[in-house]
Amino acid sequence: MRKLLIFLITLCPLALLAGNPGFGNRRYALTVMGEYSYNRTWSHHGNLDVQALLPFNPHFEMEAKLQASTANVYTGAVQLRPKFEMPTGELFIETDIMYKAVARNRVGDITAGLGLGYRMDYVSVMLGVFSRVMDDWDRDWHSEDTYVVEPFNLMYRLEVFCRPQDNPWNLSFCFSNMDDFQMERMWQPLFMVGAYYDINDHWRLNFGAQCKPTGMFHLDATFYGATARTGFTYKF
Amino acid sequence: MRHYIAKSLFALCSLSIAFVFTACSEDFPLDLAGMFSPQGETIDTRFAQSMSYNDSVGEIHLNMQQDNYTIYLCSDSHITRTRHALLSYFIQQYEAAASPKLAIHLGDLIDAQKNYACADSILNLGGRSINDTLFITPGNHDIYYWQWPLYRELFGTSVYWFDTNNGTQKLDLFICLDSAEGELGQQQMTWLRNLLEAKAKEYRHVIVFSHTHMWKLDASQETTSNMALEATYEFTSMLAKYGVDYYWSGHQHARQNVLYKGVRYIVLDATKDTERHPSYAIAHMSDHVDIEFVPYPEQ
Repeated sequence: MRKLLIFLITLCPLALLAGNPGFGNRRYALTVMGEYSYNRTWSHHGNLDVQALLPFNPHFEMEAKLQASTANVYTGAVQLRPKFEMPTGELFIETDIMYKAVARNRVGDITAGLGLGYRMDYVSVMLGVFSRVMDDWDRDWHSEDTYVVEPFNLMYRLEVFCRPQDNPWNLSFCFSNMDDFQMERMWQPLFMVGAYYDINDHWRLNFGAQCKPTGMFHLDATFYGATARTGFTYKF
Repeated sequence: MRHYIAKSLFALCSLSIAFVFTACSEDFPLDLAGMFSPQGETIDTRFAQSMSYNDSVGEIHLNMQQDNYTIYLCSDSHITRTRHALLSYFIQQYEAAASPKLAIHLGDLIDAQKNYACADSILNLGGRSINDTLFITPGNHDIYYWQWPLYRELFGTSVYWFDTNNGTQKLDLFICLDSAEGELGQQQMTWLRNLLEAKAKEYRHVIVFSHTHMWKLDASQETTSNMALEATYEFTSMLAKYGVDYYWSGHQHARQNVLYKGVRYIVLDATKDTERHPSYAIAHMSDHVDIEFVPYPEQ
């Protein structure tokens, strides 16, 4: 318990950065993004992302996401997000389920996570746990082979924004072990930069970049991969 | 689960606090620069230097005289000048064991800088030759913070293979990989693919060993990271494709035994003096491979 308190104390200064939330209820939106990506295993590859945001009511929204990669990897994810207006922001519960079909290796990787987050104008934090099951597509039911279960992993996201949430443009910096299409082990963080610009009431231009080091907690970090993405969002 | 979350939160919190309060070992203060940039030669450089060394010394073929033999395995000894009782015990057990035998240390031999002299003395490296039966793979503690030249001076190579025979026919193939920074690198992966393609079918058993384990199956040690997920998919599929029987590793400090895609992944307990449940393992090599975990006596 004392350890938990220490952690919460370190988060408290972040709450002081909170401004008026002002982001209100989001609208139905469809996002299409193109990505160039490189990592030391799959080398250069491109990804096509399609994401739908479905805010059913002020207290519940859903996101559905699909990604197809030229590395022969396909990912689908669904997020259900109950949310509650608070005096200084928005409290949300993040429930994620993601399936990654690694066709190049004939492996299926399913992850499910549950987290609690708080989003303010300039800062968004989320902390939770997730589980992973990695399985071979060709595993014989009668074989001794097993699927691999990683039962408990920590998921976390700390994102800092330069402008309030309802601003027509924004720039954010994010430290997390997950993004829209991957949930990495807790000791494999991702560093992300994101930006958007609202062209008009319906169209938004998105940019993003991500760096993935490896060996950070081997205390011998080295570059592993990077991604750059851009695309449009249409808000209905 | 509650225990796990508390440990995870504490570890994450420690990460924040560690920027201010840092102390890793009795020998040197932890330099957190290692979390953000390579602290020494990266894997591609180490691989190239290892290949150069391998070319200079030639291939290693161990004649075991018979089909059955034993392999003494230990990992994560993290020795310091004052803390090396378990590794010394392991070496004694190995030296006293009946031949034919060989020994493999699965990385993190030392805890930090300034301890290679101690390791040299315990392992009696000066008294061994290239065909001797003690093999090692580097762990992150062995090479980070510019220790690769020291490791290289003692062991010469971090990526190599050797095989065993009974005097008339080949027995088992052993491949050592360098995963000390949680990444194998493209050159090493290509080398491994070519080696397995050329040789794997010639042997009774094919065993790959390295320091980094594949999966995070529990929270037995807070901050042992794995390879990136993409590397995990690719590497495990490659081992399966070429019929590798075993992947032996350490790093986690707690044993694991997983059969995935036909490959048996064994993670060893630590051989560290301060560990709660230290053990080493003996692999009995015959037509089957039987792994026996042997706890160390109480200190």
